[in-house]
Amino acid sequence: MKVLIIDDEEDTRSIASMSLSILGGLEVLEADSGADGISKAAAEQPDVILLDMMMPVMDGSETLEALQANAGTKNIPVIFLTAKAMTSEIERLKRMGAIGVLTKPFDPTILANQVRAILEG
Amino acid sequence: MRLNLKLSHKGLILVAVPLIFEVIFLATLTYLLRQAEIEVQRQVRSKAIISQANTLSKLFYDAGVAMGGYSITKSPLFSDRYDKIVRQIPQDLDELKNLVGDNSRQQQILQNLQVITVTGLKILGEAKSAIDDNRVDVAQFRARHMYKEIRSLADRLQDELRGLTEDERKIESEGPEAQNRNRAMVKIYLVIGVLLNFLIAVALALYFSRGISRRLNVLTDNSIRLARAEPLNPALSGTDEIAHLDGVFHSMAEALNEASRKERAVIENSADVICSIDVDGKFVAVSPACNTTWGYRPDELMGRRFIELVIPEDHQETIRAVRAVRAEKGNTEFENRTRRKDGSIVTVLWSTYWSEAERSMFCVAHDISMRKAVEEATKASEKRIRTIIENMLVGLIIITKEGFIESINPASERMFGFDAEEIVGRHLLCLFNDSKLFSERSQSDTHNFMENLFSRALNRIGELDALKKSGEDFPIEISLSEFETADGYRYLANILDVSERREVERLKKEFVSTVSHELRTPLTSIRGSLTLLSVGALGMLPEQAKKVVTIAERNTIRLITLINDILDIEKLESGKLDMVFDTIQMNNVLDRSAEAVRAFAEQNGIKLEMVHTNASVYADGDRLVQVIVNLVSNAVKFSPKGETVTVAVSEIPGFVEVKVVDRGRGIPPKYKNLLFQRFQQVEASDARKKGGTGLGLAICKGIIEAHGGTIGVESEEGKGSCFWFKIPPLATAKTQQAGQPPAAAQPVPLPVAAANPPLKPEEKMFG
Repeated sequence: MKVLIIDDEEDTRSIASMSLSILGGLEVLEADSGADGISKAAAEQPDVILLDMMMPVMDGSETLEALQANAGTKNIPVIFLTAKAMTSEIERLKRMGAIGVLTKPFDPTILANQVRAILEG
Repeated sequence: MRLNLKLSHKGLILVAVPLIFEVIFLATLTYLLRQAEIEVQRQVRSKAIISQANTLSKLFYDAGVAMGGYSITKSPLFSDRYDKIVRQIPQDLDELKNLVGDNSRQQQILQNLQVITVTGLKILGEAKSAIDDNRVDVAQFRARHMYKEIRSLADRLQDELRGLTEDERKIESEGPEAQNRNRAMVKIYLVIGVLLNFLIAVALALYFSRGISRRLNVLTDNSIRLARAEPLNPALSGTDEIAHLDGVFHSMAEALNEASRKERAVIENSADVICSIDVDGKFVAVSPACNTTWGYRPDELMGRRFIELVIPEDHQETIRAVRAVRAEKGNTEFENRTRRKDGSIVTVLWSTYWSEAERSMFCVAHDISMRKAVEEATKASEKRIRTIIENMLVGLIIITKEGFIESINPASERMFGFDAEEIVGRHLLCLFNDSKLFSERSQSDTHNFMENLFSRALNRIGELDALKKSGEDFPIEISLSEFETADGYRYLANILDVSERREVERLKKEFVSTVSHELRTPLTSIRGSLTLLSVGALGMLPEQAKKVVTIAERNTIRLITLINDILDIEKLESGKLDMVFDTIQMNNVLDRSAEAVRAFAEQNGIKLEMVHTNASVYADGDRLVQVIVNLVSNAVKFSPKGETVTVAVSEIPGFVEVKVVDRGRGIPPKYKNLLFQRFQQVEASDARKKGGTGLGLAICKGIIEAHGGTIGVESEEGKGSCFWFKIPPLATAKTQQAGQPPAAAQPVPLPVAAANPPLKPEEKMFG
């Protein structure tokens, strides 16, 4: 399974990437901005996208909108990875089309399982 | 016996008594005169009887003589004479009979006389017949015989007549005597009458004097006594008009007396000094109250000039006022300051009346020092309150019930940018953002505005958007309270400009958001890195390195927990804790909680026992799990190894109850209530030894209360504790939550929720 992580924080990206690949055994792609994420998503066609909410230039919501607007990426499921303070946003994010929300800081030991669980519904 | 007679009766007596006496007197006299008259008549009759008897006797003789002559002469002269006499005799007899009347003895005599005369006349008649028949012998015989007979008859007649006349003579002789006696009687009666008359007159005069004059004098005397204020004579007895008048007079005098006693009592007991001051300004009379007001006895003031009491500074003013009183000739008031005997100053209000007739000023001097003091105090207090109001930062506006502005304080002026003069009288609406849409000149608009205002801000704090004169709007907190004035109800609006506070709130929110993001981002990396290291994802570490990495990881988790808890508390307090309500099974909540803490319990050698029930609640499942995990974690931490912690869900009337029971050291009673407050732990060392932020239970309390439930603890020191909470069951909760905003109430089964289990047991420390 191929996972695309879109996050402007390189450290977070690295930890998430390592958790998913080393502990979860998943194939991981990284993008450091919304725009980068959209192009990588279109190019690589990942099975799921982990999208950070708070990013400069193009934040999570805008990125999601762009992904959904693009025929090549609109069918790729998106899970938001957001700070816990933003839980009030969960409903809004889900209405926007995200299939789930994971909060930061995440537990690297179970991150892969959480992603799988959401994908399996 | 006393006769209770009225004046009219007495008058009647005065007239009737002499009248009756006169009548009696007159009757007596009349009677006496009548008697005298009768006596006279009787004498006249006696004389007539005597005369008649004599005549009769003479006639009889004459008849005899005539018959004798006739027998001798046979002359018709004698015969005629005889006949005439014979005819005359019965007439005279009848006359005599009339005179005698009903005297029985005389009647008897008369009868005898009649018999005698008849017999005599018969004999004479026979003699005449014999003469006429020329039977001289017979006649002679008869004459002789007759003579004898006649003679005896004549004698008898004489006797009888004598009997008659004797009687009458006796009467006749008695007559003057009786008359004299009568006359004497009349004289005596007259004298007696006059005397009696005199006596009666005197008696009546006395009676009148006693009964009327003297009593009238008493009345006169009483009126004089009343005028001199001397005691009155005793009340007159009786029931007549005078006694009545006297009674009325006494009552009147008593009433006057009573009135004057009362007046005196009023004057003497009046708290105000009542006095009269003569034309020279001297006290003529002073009531005892002067002792209280000035410390002088009345006798000390009498004769003194009243201006002496007045302090020199007020002399001019007082003199002017007194002149005005005299000029006004009516009631006038003035105030001045007077000095008491002890030197202290008393402010006095003089209510005065100038009497031109008495050439005096009548005054009531009222001590108004207290009133003055109260007025001063009131003024001072008013000034103080005014200063407070004018200097306070809160805007105060007083409005009428209809919303028209009556007054505003400087803070309001500054807040709205209006001057008081330009805003007073206008409608409150003009100070609100609503005035952009509604007109303060429309009655329905202002009415609706006031209704809205009252419903939002009367006796509570409402938040509204206000408008400055410049047109800039700003948020305010406003609270109206009603108060009563002489002109009716008014409302005091307390207005606070909350622009700054709103800004602070916004900044705080931003700060919280920033902190949560800015802290979490690095912490996410740190924690992730440490976890990857500690689980050996990057290769096995030496034992000591692994130990250090574990310590770093644990403390990082603790730091994350602390941040999470602080954010939760912050939201709970601002009422912004996100809650996702849904119909949930308590069994599910219990399972998830057990799942979350099982590992932690096992680590601590504690067994978990779950008592399920099929109850459903309308709640935020994640939050309930958070609460139960927190309570169980605490129970595990404070239980000795090998013990059991029981989590039991049960339905009780009106609630679903969850109990977490441990067999730990228990909680001293004094900490029971403190436990649910922030940063409270039974022992200060607990935080270090057992970990935890001291916020967990406070968050639990907030969450449970947000569900409309309650949380508490029962504990016995040394035996263990039972933490419990109860929340309304499904039906009750749903109706209660009906008013919740849709976002919070929307029941959405979240994969996230399932995929986002509560923090690991070790993350939840004793709160």
